[in-house]
Amino acid sequence: MARRGTIAGPLRRHGHLALVALVLLGWSLAGDGWAGALFLPVWVLATQLIVAGSLEAARLRRRAWLGQYLRDDSPWRRWLEGGALMVLRHQLVGALLALVLLVDLRLLSLAEWPLLLAALPALVLARLRLRRRLSRHVVAEHLPAVTRRLLAAPIAALLALAMVLAALWLPQPWLIGLGWEEAITRHLSAGEGGGLLGLFERLAASAELTRQWAMQNAVERFHLATPVAVLGWLVLLLTQGAVAWAYVRLLVGAEALRREGRSPLGAPAADRETWP
Amino acid sequence: MNASGEAVNPLAVRAPTRASRWRGWVLSALVVLLLLAGLEAGHRLLETRSQAPLYRVIVAGESLTLEAEAHAAFSRDLERLAAGAEADLAARMAPWTEARLEQAFAPLEAAVPGYLDWYFSLRGSYLRMAMGLAGDQAGWRDAQRRSRLIEASGIEAALGRLEADHAARLAREQQAVAEQVSATLLERYAPRSVADAEAQAAAPSFDLDGQMDQALLATLDTRRWQAAALSGGGLGLLAGRPLARKLSAGAVGQGGRMALRALATRLGAGAARSLASGGAAAAVTAPTGPGALMVGAATAAAGLAGMVGGEVALLRLQEARRRPALEARLHDGIEEARRDAVASLDGAVSAAAARLASGLEAHAPRHEQAPGEAHPEPYRIIDRLGPYARP
Repeated sequence: MARRGTIAGPLRRHGHLALVALVLLGWSLAGDGWAGALFLPVWVLATQLIVAGSLEAARLRRRAWLGQYLRDDSPWRRWLEGGALMVLRHQLVGALLALVLLVDLRLLSLAEWPLLLAALPALVLARLRLRRRLSRHVVAEHLPAVTRRLLAAPIAALLALAMVLAALWLPQPWLIGLGWEEAITRHLSAGEGGGLLGLFERLAASAELTRQWAMQNAVERFHLATPVAVLGWLVLLLTQGAVAWAYVRLLVGAEALRREGRSPLGAPAADRETWP
Repeated sequence: MNASGEAVNPLAVRAPTRASRWRGWVLSALVVLLLLAGLEAGHRLLETRSQAPLYRVIVAGESLTLEAEAHAAFSRDLERLAAGAEADLAARMAPWTEARLEQAFAPLEAAVPGYLDWYFSLRGSYLRMAMGLAGDQAGWRDAQRRSRLIEASGIEAALGRLEADHAARLAREQQAVAEQVSATLLERYAPRSVADAEAQAAAPSFDLDGQMDQALLATLDTRRWQAAALSGGGLGLLAGRPLARKLSAGAVGQGGRMALRALATRLGAGAARSLASGGAAAAVTAPTGPGALMVGAATAAAGLAGMVGGEVALLRLQEARRRPALEARLHDGIEEARRDAVASLDGAVSAAAARLASGLEAHAPRHEQAPGEAHPEPYRIIDRLGPYARP
């Protein structure tokens, strides 16, 4: 009974995170045809999740700024509070970020997925701890949002670090001594599909190949010392941080979207009390 | 009511009601769709603007100019058709081969009863016995089988003819398959050919006709060479000693031993009987002079006659008992020989098809990979970072 509670309880409370991760995993492992067909819905989903998180953070920021500088009765409060323009901007940025994330996920090797999945419990645990810590300092009304806002950066950094370290071990194609064009033509296998997704996959794959080609050849040809080589690799591999960052933002957004209506005080009531 | 209130109240954007959530989703979908449309348009523009390479392909005497995509599809189709050529060729050859083999083996099958008649005749039986006693039964049997079964049925010549015909037929069918491949490709890709006069000169071209001719020529040469090397062909070889051995393997594979035992029992019975009757008469009349000799001779003659009569009866008995088994074994041997012939002919067909396919695939335009393929081992950063970092 207790055991079932320990399993089913967290699953019910954080099932949305697992669902999102599984959807992404399934889509990124699907064949070209399925992935192409489901590209649009998955993109919309990822965009919406990222936007939910980033909009929340942006509104928090904006409200803090307005509360700092403007009088309570100024009409500017209403104008600057963040309307269609802000939403649109975040939607646009979110869509682009989601695109980068999805395309990179398609190219990710299966060996890196355990890291992404391990980020889920890490996120949940970190959120609980951080929330407990912050509850003594932060206004209760904003506690969930602030927690989420502070959560994204460290988790993303950890995940990016883990992925970079994994990349040090993961095998790469052997590109030493090849010309750049030759390396691309010989090893570019991703995205045979003719659609837009295929094009993006090819672009991303060729960018990654270029990175690997440049660094492999530089290390081998100039006989770089180990620290320099490691530094070079880290700088190049940190672009993988983009994936980690976008992924964590997506998870946080899912969290925000799920919890939005359920804050203990009730958000609408709280708003009216705060902003009469 | 609530919705209109939200629309007026700017703070309501933050209010997480069901409607606002839906609005968020719809907005996301719209933005994504817009982005998708824009990117798609850009993709299209890029595709039309970019200098797409054109490929010239000569198929069935027609020169086609294909765009990269159509060319890739063409290559894939060519590979698939070439891979399917073997099954096609085999399917075309199978009925003909079956009929001809039936025809060739029919006389041999027909010769079996005659051979068995001889085998169980008195003469054959005693010849066998004599050869068995002389000790060279197996070789003699081989010779008998050869002359009575194989030469009488003319299977050797028939198989030789069959092989020659098969080779000619194979070449014809191969030509037909190749032409069919060409026709299919032409039919499929002629509509997709691009009329671009200026690109014709510079485009890299692939001459399917030439490749086919080369592949067919290679096949013909190899076939000729093969036939010459086997001198009389694989089937002629098969029809000679191996076939006789195959027949014997079933029929007398148990060797002269069985036959000798049967002969010995028959011989033993006859000898005992003649000895018994002759001996008894001799014992009765032995002491009395020449008359006794006459009597002895008479009993001996009677004994001989009885022995011959008994011999024929025993032979009939033996024939009734052993003829079906021997016949079945002979038929089995023939069947096995026929299977071997089929396998040999099928081998020729599949070898020809494989040559055709590999001739086409090796020159299929897509296979222009550099000889130095990928490095055997992948690159692992951690392994290359100084000696201490190696695991």
